Parts: sequence; structure tokens; C-alpha cells
Amino acid sequence: MPAESPGLSELHDELRAVARDLLGKADAEAAADWRSIAGAGWPGLEVPGAFDGADATFAEVAVILQEMGRAAARGPYAAVAVLGVGVLNLLESGPDRDRLLRDTAAGDAVPVAVLEGEAMGETSFRIARTARGPLLHGTADFVLDAPAADRLLVPALDPDGTPVIVGVDPRAAGLSVERRPVLDATRGFGRVAVTDVSVPPESVWRFRGDPQEAVRRLRDRAAVAMACDSLGLSKAMLEATVAYAGVREQFGRKIGSFQAVKHACADMLVQVSVARELVAAAVRGQAGDEPGAAVAASMAKSYACAAAVEVAGKAMQLHGGMGYTWESGVHVYLKRAALNRSLFGSPALHRRRLAERYSPLARERLDAYGGSERSLS
Amino acid sequence: MTRADLDEFRERVRDWCRAHVPKDWRREQTGVSDEEFVSFQQEWFQELRRAGFAVPHWPAEWGGGMPVAEQVVLYQELAAHDAPRLVLAFVAIHHAASTLLAAGTDAQRRRHLPAILDGEIWVQGFSEPGAGSDLAALSTSARREGDAYVVNGQKLWASGAAHADWCLLLARTDPSAPKRRGISYFLMDMRTPGIDVRAVRQATGESHFCEIFLDDVVIPAEHLVGPENEGWRVAQRTLGAERGMTMLELAERLGNGGFRWLVELCARPGPGGARPLDDPLVADRLAALETELTGLRALCARLVADEDPGPADASIVKLYYSELLQRMTDFGAEVAGLAAHTALRKPLSSGWESGAWVLDFIGSWEWTIPGGTSEIQRSIIGERGLGLPREPRGS
Repeated sequence: MPAESPGLSELHDELRAVARDLLGKADAEAAADWRSIAGAGWPGLEVPGAFDGADATFAEVAVILQEMGRAAARGPYAAVAVLGVGVLNLLESGPDRDRLLRDTAAGDAVPVAVLEGEAMGETSFRIARTARGPLLHGTADFVLDAPAADRLLVPALDPDGTPVIVGVDPRAAGLSVERRPVLDATRGFGRVAVTDVSVPPESVWRFRGDPQEAVRRLRDRAAVAMACDSLGLSKAMLEATVAYAGVREQFGRKIGSFQAVKHACADMLVQVSVARELVAAAVRGQAGDEPGAAVAASMAKSYACAAAVEVAGKAMQLHGGMGYTWESGVHVYLKRAALNRSLFGSPALHRRRLAERYSPLARERLDAYGGSERSLS
Repeated sequence: MTRADLDEFRERVRDWCRAHVPKDWRREQTGVSDEEFVSFQQEWFQELRRAGFAVPHWPAEWGGGMPVAEQVVLYQELAAHDAPRLVLAFVAIHHAASTLLAAGTDAQRRRHLPAILDGEIWVQGFSEPGAGSDLAALSTSARREGDAYVVNGQKLWASGAAHADWCLLLARTDPSAPKRRGISYFLMDMRTPGIDVRAVRQATGESHFCEIFLDDVVIPAEHLVGPENEGWRVAQRTLGAERGMTMLELAERLGNGGFRWLVELCARPGPGGARPLDDPLVADRLAALETELTGLRALCARLVADEDPGPADASIVKLYYSELLQRMTDFGAEVAGLAAHTALRKPLSSGWESGAWVLDFIGSWEWTIPGGTSEIQRSIIGERGLGLPREPRGS
């Protein structure tokens, strides 16, 4: 399978160059201005042309995500472009949903999906029928970029038990978003608690296809986004380490000339190379909605996110005392890598998903339900 | 010493720990100011001193004299009862004391050893921006002028310099000699004019490392330790002198509190509701870690008991401890998940494992980098321990 057509490859190079430039200019202590990100067209990459989006695919979003990881960028891009737009694209068309897509592409709206960052089970949000009309309740402990959102897209079960999305204003009465500071200062999390928030019918949006399948695909998108981010930050750490090993001298030699250092750098490159291939396959799976997308997502998430912790750790080690200082910035990458590893499914969880396919019983059951994409191929 | 004597001593230490280890100190020492940390450390040091537990490794005439077997028991019990660590006094009671005892004059010992017992704080001024792994390349200069030396240069990674009264300083007294031959060892009063201490923030967000800038600092010649230009040999002799017992203490900490918290973490329901411990892979990792910890503790116990340790034994222990610490905290971070990322601070006065797993993981590089990086330790083990040919090292 060709990685990508020549035209697409050029487009990606251009996108990458623009992203590196824009993110490189951003202050290390602050997010790039959302206006400039919207101005570059990034939130609207996957928004249909009919809503003033770019009609592009996840492959283009993935280019930006990698650059975000490389720059250890702040801001809610992943939460909006991967999860917000991802959710909206899975929904039936309707005036509110369509307007929100258009506003998101224009940079006027910052919708964030209320996806639990850790527990990968069913959503805890429910819509209950009450004398006061339908009311929403539930909590999510770690929601990526919830504090930055101006619209929360809450996956919930309606009174009949069908998964739906509820569009909620974060300032609604009965809803709280509590900031949860984490060691990785480039990331924002919130605990979203909803107690009896009234749900007008027009704010309840239905999925176009199978709702269960839609939620599962959303989780895969989130996992692949983390893999992209981790790949980008691994590349940045490898480059920084190679550059440092090429100038820092001890014992009258460049430290990169010592085998202990050289071999460690070589191991980093090997890991980055493998991660790159697994992430590329996972991105193709998402972009083309291919069979095997879920398997590729779990492989990319588990490998690239675990490798990034090792790569960033080696970067800290090989930068020596300097690498352990706050000023060097290596810690930012190590903390981000460790967070990415735990976010949207740990490596162990994704590997468990992969291993479920090995059991003959599971294979028969999956085949019976047409789940061939999850079987061994 | 008989087994019964040791058992009796162990009971005595246990009773003492139950009566004296401050309750709830971990919670109370989380997020405290520098001043509170210093006074907590000083009080704990005096508490240990009154019991005869502060400097058991010193000679009896200076207030120590505890047999090695009892010291081992002492550190095992302090770890088992999760006592605070002596962080602030560490350089004073170990490096400064062993330097003075091995190479100092009587006057220097009389001046400093009692003062250390009264709370004098020491810092080590060895590394420099250009002299890390290659410590002998240091360029801070000490120029003889009459009966004093005038020192200029910059020191880095001086842990605790902000609170220090005195500094163990290596400086170059003969720039024309081969690099290990022209270094001298000084005791430097940190109140001397010309010393500027600046905190360096670390990856964990703490700032106990410092830079020390030295601008025409005058050190009286009586503060020279050992002969002029023999400083490298003095440093080599005393640097490794205390490694055994300090490593044993750290290994006991990792094997007690550290491992216990890890097991407790795995026995609590995780975000999905399941207990990590019920996952056979998690149980397997825990058992593997316990095995490694047992090996490490035995290795440390052998090192301190050995009258004539091998040339690489201390390096083996340092390398194994630091990498086991890193693997263990990495595993803790993985099992604890996102919740561990919200622990932004850890209790001061704790060991290198605190149960704030992500912070502990980041902090573990403070063990794999300083005091001879893991790369340097492997070279030492290969060359001095196994007699393999040396790597080319330049000049």
C-alpha cells in the first residue's frame, strides 16, 4: 500500500512547514493564539466544504498533531479538531450541529467532547425523564481541555439507552468544570460534573450510523491523536539529543563519539522509526475508515506512547545535568510523554484489546457479528 | 556481637521509632516553605543525635562508634518506620566528615566535627558547567597570595548551597600540571565576600540545586585539605568512603515504603473499577520488582560488611539502585494513571520514592545523572571491575 500519493505528500510537507513556523513562534508559556490557528484553517481541516471547512481528512490533522507534539504546544487543538469535530461529523445533520461545525471551522467556536480520559468503558452521563422534562446528569474525571471549551459535547445515554450527544453550554446551571492541574503544564484538564441540567430537544443530537460503533471510533481517533503527538515529541527529543551530543565535550571529545551515547541515540532512532510506521498505518486507518483501523490504532497508541517516554527519558539522560534543569525544557517533553501514555488507554489496555483477538472463541464470536476487522489478518 | 545483642538493639530502635518518628510528617511536609523544611530537618537531626543515631558511622571519639551490623539494623528500622531522611545534613555528616577524618588536620576536625553535630550545613562544590562527567577538567582557579588563596570560577549542581555554612571546594592551583595533578581541596566559608549563590530550578520544579559564582573569594591557607595539588586524590578517597551505608539506607527505603506503596496502589480499584493486582501481568511485575529489591538490599548489606570491597562494587550498587528506582517509579506512574499526574508536589524530607509516582519518576534522573552517570558507572564496572581495556579518554 503506498504511504500517500505524491500530490498529498507535497501538501503535507507544506502543511508541516507552516505548522512548524506558526508553532515555533508561539510563546513557550502560552498557547498559540486560537485566531492564528483558525486562520491557518486547522480546526476546519475535516469540516465539510459545505460548512466552509477544508474537506480534508484525518491524515492532514495528523500532520498538525505531530507538529503540536514536536513543539510541546499548548492549547485545545487536539480536543477540538480530533474530538469536537470528530463527534460533530458522526452526527446527523441539523441546524445547531451544522452551525457549530461552521463556527468551529471559522474559529468562532471551541467545542470539546466530554470523553473520559482514562476509564474506557461506557459514558456515565444519562438523560432522565422527569416531571421537569429531560435532565442530564453524570461526571467525567479527566476531560482534555474542558476548561477551554465554549461548548461541551456530552456523550450520554438517552432515556431509551441509546447513545446520543448533548450539546451543553459550559456555563449552564447545574454544570461545573473544575480545573485539574497536571505536571505537564502544556495540557489542560477539567472534571466535568453535571447535575440535573435541563436538556431541550434541539440540544440532543443523534448519531448517523450505529451509535456504539460511533463512540468506539471516537476513542480510536483520540488514541491515534496521542500516538501522533508522542511521535512528534519523540522526533524533537531525538534531534535535540543528537545536536547536543554533537557539541558537548567531556574528556576532550564530543560526547556523541562515545559508544555509550552513540548507541543510545541509535536506539532512539530505531524506536522512532518503528513508531513512525505504526502511526502512519493508524492514521491511514482513521483517514480512510479502513477495516483494521481499530487494530492499527491500538498498535500505534501502545507502541508510540510507550516509546516516547523512553525516548524523552534517554534525552534527559544524555543531556546530563543540563537535561535535568527546568530551563533545558527536556522535562516538558518527558512529562507530556508520560501523560500521553496514560491518556485514552494505557499501552497495557490497548495491548489487551489486541490480545482479545487471539482467543479462538473471540474470533468465532467476532466473525459471527461481522467483526472481521478485529480478527487476525 | 551475638545475634541476641542485635535483636535487642533492633527492639530498642523500634521502640525509639514508635515514640519519636513524627506522625503525619509526610502530609505536613508537602508544600512547606524553605524555612519550615530547614527547621524540620534541624529538629529531626537533633532528635536522632540525642538517641545516638545521627552519626553512628563516625569514630567513637567524635560521637559515633556504632558497629556496622548495628548501623545496618538502624537504617533498616528507620526505613521500616518511614522516618524522615536527613537531607540537609547529608553532605555534612557523610562527605565533609569523611574528608576531615581521612585528610583533615586536627584543628580542622576540632573546628568542624562538633559544629556539624550542632547543625552546621555543608555543600559540595565539585562540578562545573564544563566539568560534569569529566570532573577533573574543572577550571575554577585558586591563586596563592601570601597565606591565602584567591578563588575565581563557577560551580554547578551544588545541592543545598542556599542553606550551606561551608563548602567542600575543588579548585585548580596549578594550571600547567596534568589535569588531575593541579587540583586542591578547600574548605570554604560560605559567608566569605565574593560568593554568589543562585538557585537552579530542576525538572521536578524544586530548586535545591544551586550555581555558586566565585569572584575573588579569599580562602585562608589553613583551610586547605591535604597538600596543595593533591586535591584529586583526597576527593577520590573520600567520595566513595560513605557510599556503602548511604546506599544501604536508600535501598532499605525503596524496599520498604516504596514497594509497600506500590503494592497498595495495585490493590486499590483503578479507574475502570478493577484492581491492577488482579491483572497477572501487574502481579508478575510486582514480584519481579520485589525480587530485584531483595537482591539490591543484599548487595548493599554485603558492601558495608566487606572490609575490602572490589574496585567496582560501589558502582554496581549505585547503577543498580538508580535504574531500579527509575523502573519502579515508571511502573508506578503507569499503573497510577492520570491521577498520578495531579500530584504536583511531594513531601520534602522523603526519600526518592514518595508515592507521587510521576514526580518520583521524573526525579529518578537525579540518580541516573549526578554522582557519575549510569554511562560512567558502566565504564567503571567494565574497566576497574572486569579489567577490560580503557576507552580512549582524550587528554
